[in-house]
Amino acid sequence: MTDHIVRSYDADLEGLRRSLAEMGGMAERMLGDSTVALVRRDTTLAQKIISADQRLDNLQREVEEKAVLTIARRQPLANDLRELISAIRIAADIERVGDLAKNIAKRAVAISGQFQPPHRAVVGLEHISRLVQAQLKEVLDAYAAGNEQKALEVWRRDDEIDALYTSLFRELLTYMMEDPRNITFCTHLLFCAKNIERIGDHTTNIAETIHYLITGDSLDVNRPKLDTTNIEVEAVTGS
Amino acid sequence: MLSTLELSPQSLDAEAPVRIAVKNLDFYYGEHKALKNINLDFRDRHVTALIGPSGCGKSTLLRIFNRIYSLYPEQKATGEILLDGRNIISNDVDVNELRSRVGMVFQKPTPFPMSIYDNVAFGIRLYEKPPKSELDDRVEGALRRAALWDEVKDKLKSSGMGLSGGQQQRLCIARTIAQKPEVILFDEPTSALDPISTGKIEDLLEQLKSDFTIAIVTHNMQQAARISQYTAFMYLGEVVEFAPTNTIFMNPAKKQTQDYVTGRFG
Repeated sequence: MTDHIVRSYDADLEGLRRSLAEMGGMAERMLGDSTVALVRRDTTLAQKIISADQRLDNLQREVEEKAVLTIARRQPLANDLRELISAIRIAADIERVGDLAKNIAKRAVAISGQFQPPHRAVVGLEHISRLVQAQLKEVLDAYAAGNEQKALEVWRRDDEIDALYTSLFRELLTYMMEDPRNITFCTHLLFCAKNIERIGDHTTNIAETIHYLITGDSLDVNRPKLDTTNIEVEAVTGS
Repeated sequence: MLSTLELSPQSLDAEAPVRIAVKNLDFYYGEHKALKNINLDFRDRHVTALIGPSGCGKSTLLRIFNRIYSLYPEQKATGEILLDGRNIISNDVDVNELRSRVGMVFQKPTPFPMSIYDNVAFGIRLYEKPPKSELDDRVEGALRRAALWDEVKDKLKSSGMGLSGGQQQRLCIARTIAQKPEVILFDEPTSALDPISTGKIEDLLEQLKSDFTIAIVTHNMQQAARISQYTAFMYLGEVVEFAPTNTIFMNPAKKQTQDYVTGRFG
């Protein structure tokens, strides 16, 4: 990309990109750590995640303020304008990822004293979390590299996560039916799974924003759905 | 799904007839070729903005539309500029008649050293001899259309030179529209004005668009984005990109255009 004639403009945009990269890195770590905290019932780690979220919130506000200020000062057009709008959107998505990870951490604390169901109950959750972590990393890399193709791949893969969430839902239901003492724990796991699935949705939002940033067009909002049972389950879980 | 560009608040009618068609236009200042093979359509009752760095030929192009260049023997245009189908750069065109149909407003306000009333009446008297009462009506009408009437109605006999810069510019617009032209050319009409006066002129352009075909040269990118429906980006005497304004400023097809509108040119 050619530099702006006014060099401080480039510095403004570069500063925004750096803040977003920092936010992305934090959110990735929070998701990974919250899953570990949940699986290992590590309340110390969980507390760390809960307090880290404040920093992420602050960063989001900072990105937003910087972007608004740049719009006011520079009156950006074309790709510059899209970059600033995209920064505001992506920061909001990453901030939500942080909130959802924090919620998982809180649940890790809540279930620490609970009856322990068989370990296999958390295996599925670890699996979906790993997938979403990979998606999140990919999409943030795609943003940093300006790689629209890579963002599109992430966007298309979200189906796998939705399908996995549905099967995890069924699995956890089975454990609850097997032994009612599992209900509290598994209900928390269910919410954690839903949180992770939602993080997947924010990841696709970011992919859509990258597409807009690079091409100037919006992606078709209707992603093809692999998993048609999804709707039925969503209705049951009431979201 | 509707793209952002189709949801434009600026009414753009792609079916509007072409009022001025520029075809294969070349222009020379002596030996120097200042415009190279220009092809552009200016649509009826739309604002078309010409943007580009200094020396790109946008003002030159504007000045061909009312044959100002004919004053200088070493300047020459070849090709065609069709105004309602008639080639205005051919020799048999009555330049005075052309200028009554194609009005022009310049960067610096150019009121004549006479009263406000006479400034506006001047253009009308050039081509017509209306009775006094009709002339009064037309002067008032033009001043109203130029959003200046309320500010000058009590001092029509005082000199136009005594007005503020923004008022002078609106006086020049009133003088232009009093002649009932079809096309109005604006050559950086607000670059010498403060933001309030600029706002008034932009508001005025929005109103005038419903009756006139407007071409405007501006260095203010945001102004072009606000007031025009079509924009041509010119560089080194050529049209690099010509498209609906929203396309030029949100998602231009050419990298050169993008670099220019985002301040990266050079």
